[in-house]
Amino acid sequence: MPGKGKVQSMKIVPPGKKKCVWMEAGVVSYKLCDNNYDCPTCVYDHAMQTKVARQKESMVAKPAEAQPDKFTATWVEKMMMLPASSRKCRYMITGEIGRKLCPNAYECGTCSFDRMMQQRLQSEPMAVSASVQVAGFEVADGFYYHEGHTWARPEYGGRVRVGLDDFARRLIGKLSGIEMPGIGHELKQGEAGFGVRRNGKSAGILSPVDGVVTRINDRLLDHPELVNASPYEEGWFAIVEPTRLRKNLKDLYYGEEAHTFTSEEKERLFSMANDDLNIAADGGISVEDISEELEETQWLRLVKAFLRSK
Amino acid sequence: MESQRGRPALFRSLAVCGLGAMDSTVIRHVAEHISTRSCMPYTIIPEMDIPAYAFDEKRGQYNSKVILKRLMQFPHDCIRLLAVTQVDLFVPILKYVFGLAQVGGPCALISTYRLRPEFYGHDPDRDLFMARIGKTAMHELGHSLGLTHCRNRRCVMYSSTRINDTDLKRSDFCPTCFELFRWHLEKCRVEPNLYVPQN
Repeated sequence: MPGKGKVQSMKIVPPGKKKCVWMEAGVVSYKLCDNNYDCPTCVYDHAMQTKVARQKESMVAKPAEAQPDKFTATWVEKMMMLPASSRKCRYMITGEIGRKLCPNAYECGTCSFDRMMQQRLQSEPMAVSASVQVAGFEVADGFYYHEGHTWARPEYGGRVRVGLDDFARRLIGKLSGIEMPGIGHELKQGEAGFGVRRNGKSAGILSPVDGVVTRINDRLLDHPELVNASPYEEGWFAIVEPTRLRKNLKDLYYGEEAHTFTSEEKERLFSMANDDLNIAADGGISVEDISEELEETQWLRLVKAFLRSK
Repeated sequence: MESQRGRPALFRSLAVCGLGAMDSTVIRHVAEHISTRSCMPYTIIPEMDIPAYAFDEKRGQYNSKVILKRLMQFPHDCIRLLAVTQVDLFVPILKYVFGLAQVGGPCALISTYRLRPEFYGHDPDRDLFMARIGKTAMHELGHSLGLTHCRNRRCVMYSSTRINDTDLKRSDFCPTCFELFRWHLEKCRVEPNLYVPQN
């Protein structure tokens, strides 16, 4: 009989978003992951774990009043109730691999496959799923942008990959060298963490997040041109273990905000590069190497103004 | 210059001229287009030489900033001077421009080179070509009167990065830019002055 039953809600997962493991396991009806599957640092996961523990306690104390269907099992327990052929590995849930069933009862901390994936993901550049051209500059989706033209991309397991955006790499031009911090070095958001060199001149690059460097892209030391060729993939700078990620991300540009920021920066760049005449133009994407078009003194002035470094 | 004050607004017009050999129908279209939308009379100035002085051999294009500086040396008694050329223009940090103007300055410049559908491998389309020219001319006229870029994608003052942006926007101003355009134009009407280049 139509209209009598419970209305089945549409559980649409927006493009680019992923289901929380609690939703994936069927414990909650709808929840998207907002912590890049870094469950140990996830506030929601902690709250749910606590809620399930309390529910279990109340069931023991007053079994009649307890609600048998509500939060009586964690997502791991729910997953383990499924037949073995349906227990997706977390890297399958996150889309990192095509098909893989959990071989270790969701104890990722002791899983050798998890360790292998962690190492592989850290050493390999992450592919950009989509990007758009904003005012002639490439803005990659899913990246957070700092006003100093660096990007931060939270990855699975709570790490953050950082690098230089397309605007900065065009402005700086062909790099002759990169200065990297050592592993274990502590970075502060908005403070110089890296350095770039070109034609004997250098400029500081601000870190987009607070954290400790756990890995650097050592290929850049011999091949700094990778930053020019592929700023969002091969040209990443470092992987950071963040210390204040949630707070840091609030201070970065994301999505539409990043597009507006890039557009405004292009206008500012055009205006500063032509401040002798105060001109405005219609049309035109940026040349690949803006620095080639600038005089040396102008280069330093513009690089410092846009990278916001001292 | 003082003697120009109080001169009837009737004589103040928008001037259009070709740089290098230009199709006269294009020049007339530009003149009529900006004249209709600004309710100002227009004057067509005799063609100037092709701007060979601004050719950049490395890029194979013409430096629009150099041309604009040269145009600013040209004295005129019009509200604004809009030059139209068919050579490919650039400014140093951009690969190309459809047009360029000094914000609040006496001159503006547009190029028809990248406005032709043929440039993008499409069939010739005169109406589309003329529509693009009209939008670019209004955009640069807006700049030269003092308007800056607008965030409204449909407003003619929206900054076109690519030709698709030009096709998407309308040939008119959004209400805010229209108000600004009228305000700036009105200032020019009541404060006429002969433009004499400053050396």
